[in-house]
Amino acid sequence: MNTDNVSEDRALEERTKLIFDESVSALDAQTRSKLTRARYRALEELPGRSAPGWRAWWIPAGAVAAGVLAVMLLWQGQPPVAPEAQTFDVAALSDLEILLGEEELDMIQELEFYAWLDEQAEIAPADSAEGGVG
Amino acid sequence: MTLAALMQPTCLPREEGTLESGIEMDAFLREVETRAYRITLASIRDADEALDIVQDAMISLVRKYAARPEEEWRPLFYRILKNRIRDWQRRGVVRGRVMSFFGGQEGGEGYDPVAQAPGPSAGNPAETVARGEAMDALEEALGNLPGRQREAFMLRNFEGLSVAETATAMGCSEGSVKTHYSRAVHRLRELLGEHF
Repeated sequence: MNTDNVSEDRALEERTKLIFDESVSALDAQTRSKLTRARYRALEELPGRSAPGWRAWWIPAGAVAAGVLAVMLLWQGQPPVAPEAQTFDVAALSDLEILLGEEELDMIQELEFYAWLDEQAEIAPADSAEGGVG
Repeated sequence: MTLAALMQPTCLPREEGTLESGIEMDAFLREVETRAYRITLASIRDADEALDIVQDAMISLVRKYAARPEEEWRPLFYRILKNRIRDWQRRGVVRGRVMSFFGGQEGGEGYDPVAQAPGPSAGNPAETVARGEAMDALEEALGNLPGRQREAFMLRNFEGLSVAETATAMGCSEGSVKTHYSRAVHRLRELLGEHF
């Protein structure tokens, strides 16, 4: 390939590029607007953006707000705690400690023995009283 | 590795659906949309169909390749666009040319002179006409090229893709790109000799 051909090729490349660039710049407003809409339509397909922007943000935010409101209403709607209930709570807590302690569990396993022992303790004073009279 | 090194920005995989990836994709599509449209129009000579094809290509890129590195988007986008253009051409070249011929007439029903106003860089009317005629002649000449030569020429010269990127977009080897491009330039010089 001689130098003339190379320079002519180069000139053609530059000239056609210039014409193309000018035709792009001269695109009418309607076509540009349609291309912008096409771009927005394409961007809706971004992963994680299937819902429109406002919906993607407001649905989770609304759910959180509704949850917080429900918790606050339940909290304020509760009646004042009665002293008996507080006692019950303390008793329940004691039961829990008993249930969780190893020693108390041993006692529960031998509950019949302790019940018999208790009966014997009640019978013994009565017997001694009867013996004293007799 | 030091803490300072860990804090340096690195080539981490792109997180899908982040605001950043959305902004980058928007900027990329904004950059290529008008040029892609003009390349498509030069290939099929039908304005409405060209818009549909460009939109389909943009949607396909976003759906399938948004998570890929940004430097891959351009060749991938033009590969999708090229396939869409070929599909359209296979469906009916004759129908497209007839529609383009009648659709290009101004003053018909629904013609909006404001919307048809020239773009921001338009000069005086004589220059606009001259540019329009030159582009018409160029499109005519491009239409006479074999498909592979036209693709290679438009992607390399109009869009500025490298040989490697053009090969990716065309789905062929870099050697084929060089051959198609060289033949396209020689053929265009023959066809456009009088006008250029």
